[in-house]
Amino acid sequence: MEECYLICEDSLEGIFTGIYNAYLKKKPHEQIHICVGEEENYRLFAVYETCQTDEKKASKVAGTIIREFGEEAYLSICRALAAQDRDKGEAVYKTVVSGLCMKNKRQVMGCLQNPYIHKVFELARFTANEAHYHVEFLRFKEFENGILYAVIGPKNNVLTFIVPHFADRLPLENFVIYDEIRNIYAMHPAGKEWYLVYGDEIISQAEHNFSEGEKKYSELFGCFFHTIAIKERRNYKLQRNMLPIRYREYMTEFQQK
Amino acid sequence: MESNFILSTGGRQPGLQSALMSKENMSIMEKLKILSDAAKYDVSCSSSGVGRRGDGTGIGNTLAAGICHSFGADGRCISLLKILFTNECIYDCKYCINRKSNDVPRASFTPDEICELTIQFYRRNYIEGLFLSSGILYSPTYTMELIYEAVHKLRTLYRFQGYIHVKAIPGADPEIVNRLGLLADRMSVNLELPTAEGLKRLAPNKHRRNILTPMRQIQQGIIQNKNELVLYRNTPSFVPAGQSTQMIVGATPESDYQIMMVAENLYKKFDLKRVYYSAFVSVNEDKELPALPGGPPLLREHRLYQADWLLRFYGFEAGELLSEDKPNFNILLDPKADWALRHLEQFPVEINRADYHMILRVPGIGVKSAQRIVRARRNGNLNFDDLKKIGVTLKRALYFITCSGKMMYPTKIEEDYITRNLLSNKEKLPFDRDGMTYKQLSLFDDDQEEIRNWKNVI
Repeated sequence: MEECYLICEDSLEGIFTGIYNAYLKKKPHEQIHICVGEEENYRLFAVYETCQTDEKKASKVAGTIIREFGEEAYLSICRALAAQDRDKGEAVYKTVVSGLCMKNKRQVMGCLQNPYIHKVFELARFTANEAHYHVEFLRFKEFENGILYAVIGPKNNVLTFIVPHFADRLPLENFVIYDEIRNIYAMHPAGKEWYLVYGDEIISQAEHNFSEGEKKYSELFGCFFHTIAIKERRNYKLQRNMLPIRYREYMTEFQQK
Repeated sequence: MESNFILSTGGRQPGLQSALMSKENMSIMEKLKILSDAAKYDVSCSSSGVGRRGDGTGIGNTLAAGICHSFGADGRCISLLKILFTNECIYDCKYCINRKSNDVPRASFTPDEICELTIQFYRRNYIEGLFLSSGILYSPTYTMELIYEAVHKLRTLYRFQGYIHVKAIPGADPEIVNRLGLLADRMSVNLELPTAEGLKRLAPNKHRRNILTPMRQIQQGIIQNKNELVLYRNTPSFVPAGQSTQMIVGATPESDYQIMMVAENLYKKFDLKRVYYSAFVSVNEDKELPALPGGPPLLREHRLYQADWLLRFYGFEAGELLSEDKPNFNILLDPKADWALRHLEQFPVEINRADYHMILRVPGIGVKSAQRIVRARRNGNLNFDDLKKIGVTLKRALYFITCSGKMMYPTKIEEDYITRNLLSNKEKLPFDRDGMTYKQLSLFDDDQEEIRNWKNVI
């Protein structure tokens, strides 16, 4: 039997559409595979199909996952799909297939013996950990007009997982979080709902000057950061384990010298 | 300083007002430097224990798991703006950098300065909240009034809904402890030293009973508040993140066994959320204090924390880990492996059938792995490959477990053999194996001798 590869757009909707189309084929699932973005090495004796992302199909798949597996498993799958990984589409597809065959579908994410489920579990954990790191280490700077501005450079697409946290925490602030890798801005106007903006249209924001208070408070925090360490216990290795170097270029206390 | 506080003490301390006035000229930077430097020996920095969403009218929320925002050069987490209100102090505790007889620069914040710093740091996501402690100015009650004013202002005027941890000062009026508890998320009373004798020797102004009184009061306040919350949903919560304490390890000659028994009692009888252990850092020269040429006893502190985790999350009791005859932890093995080696008759454990609590006792398996094992085995038997994926450290666990009746490979279940094998995999310690730590190890090799030397000094 010939293998079939479905090429999907790298997004939640794209991959869910792919899963919908895979089921439409009514062929054994072992023969169908989902890949994300452009395939580099085309295989002989295999059929490649491009999936057009379809909101309706995607929301049906999402609905099925939530209904059958529960909210928590759905969240894990969303996290896995936000990861930067070539095989995530295939892993999620086969997780859905395995899960729907299980007796207790709600426990699908606990079944770590299954290599696909384990892969989804790993990807979801990676994204969740990175999102948490950003909740911890993200730093806002204040512009003259009072807007708070933060830049992040995450490996996975964590922006949508961290903004709700800050929107709840700083409801009366105007703030912007910019993912410089993917060129996405999350905008939060004071007292209103937050939204995403793609592209370069508002890059001019970044050319604003920082406020008077910004210098003062970043210096105060720098001072606090240094005095709070106990020199008799100095331990740079532990510091590096807890606070990986790659986050430091975005952090106020490491930018000062 | 707010004038009403000076008046409220009835002007008993003339001269101090002017002393405080002169501090007004000090820049906020200088104050922050002095008062965070003075606060750094307080261990607790956690922002966990309470999850609370913002109500949309102010600033801040809290996460039950807590959030660290940075890590200092010592690798300790920086979660809260940890400062003292003032480092003036009427007490003369021998281990404390702020003791009365020390000649160090003194400073005091005003409540407004504390509020501004907290809010401005918080909006920039530098910190998770405020940790406010203080030296004793005039009297415990007076000092707590100062703390109360700052915290009250932060909660009401600035509408701050983030995390606040405050110290309850032993000897203060119970009424102020109660009022402060309704504003704070966590309160702590420092036990300072594990035993009453140690306290008497090193902190002549403090008494064990005075320390336990507010601890009991906070515990009862929390229980009462929980009952009220059942009846009336909108009752303000009292210390919702619970209370903690800390004790200094290595300044007095208590054994690990004594320390663990104290900790266990605090967890069981006082419902504490956390007990912190703080390796003694020698900041003062005093004949009553031990000399620690190897630096602070970090390995010992580490072992105590490992054992503390065993008490809180692994269902162990202090009496299982140590005893009168074996009063100190093994320096080479962590307490769990040490326990397992002394109880080989309970091993090997069958992963696919054993009770969760027994799986938790296997070296190399932590709480998360144990939970995952229990969940995963519902869908079929697990083998060693699966365990590896789940996160079990097999090179430690393999001597203690079987999967479907088989061990990973044939091994002897014999104390010496397993010990040798466990030791050949270097234990991961959270501090460098550099000069400092080597000295540390050698210091602990002759632990008893160290204590003897210490006694000679006295």
